Amino acid sequence: MLTLLVRRVIRLVVVLAVVSLVTFAILHVSGDPVSLMMPEAPESDRAALRLAMGFNEPLPAQFVRFLANTARGDFGNSFFHRAPALPLVLERMPTTLLLTVLALGLSLAIALPVGILSAVRRNSLFDHGATFVVFLGTSMPVFWTGIMLIILFAVQLRLLPVSGWESWQALVLPTATLATFSTPLLLRIVRSSMLEVINLDYVRTARAKGVSERIVIWHHALINAALPLVTVAGLQFGILLGGAIVTETVFAVPGLGRLIVSAIRQLDFPIVQAGVFVLALIVVLVNFAVDLLYIYLNPQIRVR
Amino acid sequence: MKRWFLLTAVLAAAALAAMPSAADAQAKDTLVVALPSHAPTLDPHMHFERVGILVNINMFDSLLHRNTKLEFEPSLALSWKPLSDTQWEFKLRKGVKFHNGETMTAEDVKYSFDRVLDQSKKSPQYGNIRAIKEVRIVNPDTVHIITDKPFPLLLERLVFFPIVPKKHVEAVGDQAFGTTSPVGTGPWKFVEWKRDQLIRLQAFDQHWRGKPPFKNLVFRAVPEIATQVAEIKTGGVDIIRNVPADIMPELKTHPQAYISSTPILRVHYVEFDMRSAPFDKKLVRQAANYAIDKQTIIQKLMAGLGKQVATTVQPLAFGFDPELKPYPYDPKKAKELLAQAGYPNGVDITLHSGDLAIRPQFEAICQMLTEVGIRTTPKMWDPGPAWNKFFQGEGKATNGYYGTWGNYSVFDADAVLHPLFHTEQGGWVGKWYTRVEGLDKLIDEGRSSVDGPKRKRTYSQIQQMIREEAPSIYLFTQYDTLGISKKVQYAARPDEWLWLYDAKPAAK
Repeated sequence: MLTLLVRRVIRLVVVLAVVSLVTFAILHVSGDPVSLMMPEAPESDRAALRLAMGFNEPLPAQFVRFLANTARGDFGNSFFHRAPALPLVLERMPTTLLLTVLALGLSLAIALPVGILSAVRRNSLFDHGATFVVFLGTSMPVFWTGIMLIILFAVQLRLLPVSGWESWQALVLPTATLATFSTPLLLRIVRSSMLEVINLDYVRTARAKGVSERIVIWHHALINAALPLVTVAGLQFGILLGGAIVTETVFAVPGLGRLIVSAIRQLDFPIVQAGVFVLALIVVLVNFAVDLLYIYLNPQIRVR
Repeated sequence: MKRWFLLTAVLAAAALAAMPSAADAQAKDTLVVALPSHAPTLDPHMHFERVGILVNINMFDSLLHRNTKLEFEPSLALSWKPLSDTQWEFKLRKGVKFHNGETMTAEDVKYSFDRVLDQSKKSPQYGNIRAIKEVRIVNPDTVHIITDKPFPLLLERLVFFPIVPKKHVEAVGDQAFGTTSPVGTGPWKFVEWKRDQLIRLQAFDQHWRGKPPFKNLVFRAVPEIATQVAEIKTGGVDIIRNVPADIMPELKTHPQAYISSTPILRVHYVEFDMRSAPFDKKLVRQAANYAIDKQTIIQKLMAGLGKQVATTVQPLAFGFDPELKPYPYDPKKAKELLAQAGYPNGVDITLHSGDLAIRPQFEAICQMLTEVGIRTTPKMWDPGPAWNKFFQGEGKATNGYYGTWGNYSVFDADAVLHPLFHTEQGGWVGKWYTRVEGLDKLIDEGRSSVDGPKRKRTYSQIQQMIREEAPSIYLFTQYDTLGISKKVQYAARPDEWLWLYDAKPAAK
């Protein structure tokens, strides 16, 4: 267990370093923030600013400095906001996390019962119907889904606010939008892994013992079917964080995704670097948690 | 597996509990404006973003105000007059209160300018007023502004130059002033700011103009225009800006909303790279100007909201010469000129644009050029780092670009001529694209005098020159189009300001 933990922590550090390197490289080939910050300034002023910000050092030297600062939790000052980047990023983080967790929760709340029922009543009308909806869900771009939901529920039916983040009602549409993005895959996983276990001997034994169908499905079968689901749900979490960026724009949610998007437009390196770093950290941590959960759910691994 | 449900349920419940229980009731005394984003700070001196200016002007006053007819009006300055070519006197309004109850004096005026002129503060507005050498306090109600050379744009610059309270700013510090405790003399005072969410303001009872009609003013940040439109249809928002032409009809006929539009200070143009063939030849540049059917573009792509121009100097700007006529649409003449220039079989060029909002116009222009033999490949860029890099590079890879120019909201010919056409190294893109003999000298002449009639003559001369030399395709001006809730009475302004003191609840 301890070796596992140590190995995971090492992997975490490596992943974060690589993510930082990639972000750093992409940003530094993408343009000159100084010209963007001072579009009208004479070249001499720009040169002075470049010097002050260390942009004229060789790139490897800049990266080493960046890594050293990052290790201390210092991502520098946002060019646009003129304030330390990390607090600006952390300030938005809870919003994005909440949206992501709600969407994943909603996805699971739909995917589990529907997926199980699809598996139990394989090839029924319900199963085919669910498959159809799954295809529909995967085919719709998040952006478009969001606008359609706004038109239907906010403009036509007047049930919910169009956008914002001021009330719990405002959370409903962005959560639903983001959930349409992740539900289909989760549903497929639930269905197929249920199908795999549902005809295994131990399930048949349980049935033969006279255990009620309900307990057979929800207890005996699902626990084993849940293993791939947990893995995929963990991966989905990262993908949802990405989807939240689009959703936040459509629904005017003041989250991290919007901050990063505008920072990219403005070549605001510190914000982008801090934002990507924090997102990467979360994805890695979630996957780490998934691994732990996996061990908990699967005694075989524990024993080994 | 119930654990998952439990976990989700607990998280969801916690999340909901943390939220206020219901949306703000949209009351009659609240005006909600949607902006695509918020500026990085509420400190009116430490950014130069349109979205920030629109918020700041409702919280802060400047020395001068501009009315809807674009005339200067007294604001914090009651009167002003030049004492010499480089010195102006401003008499201040007496007894003006800041939101914190302090009285505004000449000290505050001087402090406001010194703050932006202090290079260590790195104000993005420094360039706007760098010509100011000194602000001198004559007495508590009089200041003199001294410039290092004649500065004809001074009054223009003072329309948005908010006066901040010296004592307060020094006490709370720049950081807090821009985030949690901005204080001005304007019609609304600060209540709260949730970044990228909303800025909430409240009417200032002691404002010198009198209380504004709306008690509460909220600036929401809504990046997506489709979302903004849905908001105005449902009453979530009262004013939205920059309504696209294709959405106008549905808002025009909507029972909850109406459209208000007005010509603004923004001109569309294609700037040529005159350093290389084929646009090193005047005849080719003129041919391109004859090739564009401007009226059709205005009608079909801009809902009829646009006006053809003879040059990039616009009707709203000081120095505009109404005698000059726009190039007519004459494809036959364009072909002749092209042949005369040595391209009887046409020529291949590439044009670039990084502005998605004007993509339909861009494609139409490229097609029209192609039809007369200037076979144009349009290259549309995603606005962002790559485009910025390309655009700020030397422009070498291009024959020209299509863009729009908003004069920095300065109603003066200089604000378009210098950045687009002047070739000095510190300039904007003129240094890469434009090569017109004698033009630099005339632009310099125009900006170094405060003598109105003389400047007008210079600018007439310039406009004749650039219409003939055609360093650009001169296209059309643009309109600003607001979508406004029927509960609110307001009209779009030519300076694109949202001066919400003029907004009133609609009479029932």
